[in-house]
Amino acid sequence: MSVIARQTVLYAIASFSLLVGCRAERAKPADRRSVSSPHRVVALAPNLTEIVFALGAGDSLVGVSEYSDFPDAARRIARVGGLEVDAEKVAALRPDLVLAMAEGTARGAVSMLQAAGLPVAVVPSGSLDAVLSGIRLVGARLGRTEEAERLARDLERRRADVARRVAGRRRPRTLLLVWPDPPQAAGGGTFLNDLLREAGADNLVADRSGWPVLSPEYVATVPVELLVIPDSEQTREAYARAFRSGPLSRGPVTRARVVRLDESALTRPGPRVFDVLEKLAESLS
Amino acid sequence: MSAAAPNRLEARGLVADYGAAPVLRGLDAAIPAGAIAAVLGENGSGKSTLLKVFARVVAIGGGDVRLDGERLDALPRRQTAQRIAYVPQSVDLVFPIRTLDLVLQGRAPYARGFVAETADDRLRALEAMRACDVEALAQRDAASLSGGERRRVFLARALAQEAQVWLLDEPTSGLDPRHRLEFFETLWRIHGERGTTVVLVTHEVALAGDLATRVLLLKDGRTIAQGDRASVLTAENLERTFGAPFSGRGSRFALRSAVLPMGSLEP
Amino acid sequence: MRTGAIAIGVLLLVAACTVAFLVGGVHLSIADLVAGRGEEGQTARLLASLRAPRIGLAALVGGCLALAGAALQALLKNPLADPFLLGTSGGAAVGAAGAALLGLSPLLSPAAAFVGAAAASLGVALLARRGGRLDLQRLLLAGLIANAFFSALLLAAFSIASGEAARSMLFWMMGSLADATPRKVAALFPYALAGAAVLVAAAARLNLFSVGEENAAALGVDTERTKRIVFLASSLLTGVAVAFAGVIGFVGLLVPHAVRAAFGNDQRTLLPASFLVGATLVVAADAVARAAIAPVELPIGALTAALGAPVFAWLLLRTP
Repeated sequence: MSVIARQTVLYAIASFSLLVGCRAERAKPADRRSVSSPHRVVALAPNLTEIVFALGAGDSLVGVSEYSDFPDAARRIARVGGLEVDAEKVAALRPDLVLAMAEGTARGAVSMLQAAGLPVAVVPSGSLDAVLSGIRLVGARLGRTEEAERLARDLERRRADVARRVAGRRRPRTLLLVWPDPPQAAGGGTFLNDLLREAGADNLVADRSGWPVLSPEYVATVPVELLVIPDSEQTREAYARAFRSGPLSRGPVTRARVVRLDESALTRPGPRVFDVLEKLAESLS
Repeated sequence: MSAAAPNRLEARGLVADYGAAPVLRGLDAAIPAGAIAAVLGENGSGKSTLLKVFARVVAIGGGDVRLDGERLDALPRRQTAQRIAYVPQSVDLVFPIRTLDLVLQGRAPYARGFVAETADDRLRALEAMRACDVEALAQRDAASLSGGERRRVFLARALAQEAQVWLLDEPTSGLDPRHRLEFFETLWRIHGERGTTVVLVTHEVALAGDLATRVLLLKDGRTIAQGDRASVLTAENLERTFGAPFSGRGSRFALRSAVLPMGSLEP
Repeated sequence: MRTGAIAIGVLLLVAACTVAFLVGGVHLSIADLVAGRGEEGQTARLLASLRAPRIGLAALVGGCLALAGAALQALLKNPLADPFLLGTSGGAAVGAAGAALLGLSPLLSPAAAFVGAAAASLGVALLARRGGRLDLQRLLLAGLIANAFFSALLLAAFSIASGEAARSMLFWMMGSLADATPRKVAALFPYALAGAAVLVAAAARLNLFSVGEENAAALGVDTERTKRIVFLASSLLTGVAVAFAGVIGFVGLLVPHAVRAAFGNDQRTLLPASFLVGATLVVAADAVARAAIAPVELPIGALTAALGAPVFAWLLLRTP
């Protein structure tokens, strides 16, 4: 068969399975598993890796993003690149499902993979709601709708619990830093902003969307009561320096309460974010 | 060396280059004090380079150059700048500069550090400009001057420098007859008043014939003849220098041509 | 004329510093500063202690860059000469980037940048040597080549750097006065003073150079020595400025132009006036960088480029 013919056939098969997959979503859960249950899955972001494992489908992963280190089993899976996704490596793994985040540097690779006819599921982010719907979406694509629903409902319950607990409490003025020097904080429209709000904190830069880099003047004079910072081996020294002699060494921020949360759990929009939510809400009480 | 006073400017076996091939290849020159010396030669014969060596703009690559008997490169630069003035063929003025300031630059070899020009300097500059008939241009931007005006301004600058030697590189190329005349009349007058030694680079034979007391003929970076005008300016010497047929004698020469209607051309 | 120019320069600088002190994302109340007690007084004093060294650094950096630019324009007889054109900034950037990539402490960054700047300047000077002399036209070409080369290196380094290294490189490449401290100002000051003294002392010689190198030689200047001294002093000023504040462009190019248009080209006026006006410009630009979209800061290099490029284009179009 000529190359073009082969491509066309592949494309046809891929589109067909997509169509079948779509139709199958409306079928009953029992049917779903038998119709399309991908067993060669590539996850292009570490939080997606975590979601797949949480849904019990960790065995189906053949390729994961560079930073996928949770759970431990993920460390043994082949890497397909970090911020820059190696599209060729992904294609070489012959996946029958590629999971990617809507916002991210993998966008170029994603379009390439889609153009090559590979089935790609794009998961949105930006809020805790998006995390939940993301879990459901991935579950549907993996043929694990039951597990996904169970997980999502459990997380929603925990979320509602937290909401109940923090209701009526005073909200401390808070900054959540993603980088110490220059100080960069989580602003409005990010899921971390949601996290702060639902944990009962008042994000001082909620009116600035995205990830604003704060001027040293601001950091030194803003009346911040609570500072939430990610904790990881790579960044510990940088934060320590910032507290010692950098932008976090002057003004009210030196008297603020500091809550350190595990970085990988904090910054990945996955199931563990809800662990963080609970922890944070508790520290605020 | 005779018992008489040394030549004002002297070169023996002078070698010089611009970093690539040598331009002067063992050149001899002797210019007595008070002479008006014309240096004739084709383009590329090294005449401008000779002037630049005397002006200490181009370094001596080999051989000996002396000013009043002393080695030129052994003298401090300030001192030679006080004794030798160089008027280049053209100067590209990129930045604005007042004509008076341009003439005042001639006083630079006498300046002391960061100090602004003294009142004395200004006086001399203005006087020099008066002598060269460019006083009225003092406040104008030098870039706006005409060719003739600019040449005379540089002459004024050389005058302000109070140098005993003037090196003029093709000073009237591109000037119309009136400005040529004005320039040379000024030059002649000042030379008469101060006994300045003038070294004039040109390829105009008639100029040499009219003004020079000494003539040097250059070819391929060497001097093929030098001496007083009468003995050096001959048709044969000119033919050897320029590689074109000449006829004439005394101070009048013409290029011979078998083709041209008049049969000859002013060189 | 000269005292007038310098007086105007000083006045502008003082005005800019005053405004920059009062202006910013966070309001500084003088009343609180002077007589405030408790929380307000503390905040005001804290702000003042943050702004003062920053203004000092901005002034020194701006002055150094403008002065270096003016001197180079005279030396090279080229109104487009700019300290960045000679490869100095590229070398400084690579120096700091190299330090960041090697994982060295950010405190060593200024030293690394200066080493890079010095190495680049010397390298470019060696490339431009011709028969033992410093060929000025070759100098400009060599500088352009060096900058292109350094830019490529920098981008490559940036693409493989990660986390802290990449961030520090990025903010440093865009110029930033954010972590100004009194110690940094004190460290920069002697270099600025030394470089400035050397250049201002060469003012008369630079006047001769701006008519031409041959012109200077014929009037008694030791041109090789002067070229070396001016080039080294300008590189020193540029290197330390970039080392302490990152890449802030167009100051060395445009400030001398403006001062020349207003006060003429006498280097004895132009050099000190350029220093003062350059200082004013960067102080003002830094104030805008701080205040425009507070609490976020604009990178000052981006600001001067955004302002400088169109002004420069306008200048080019105007020139007959």
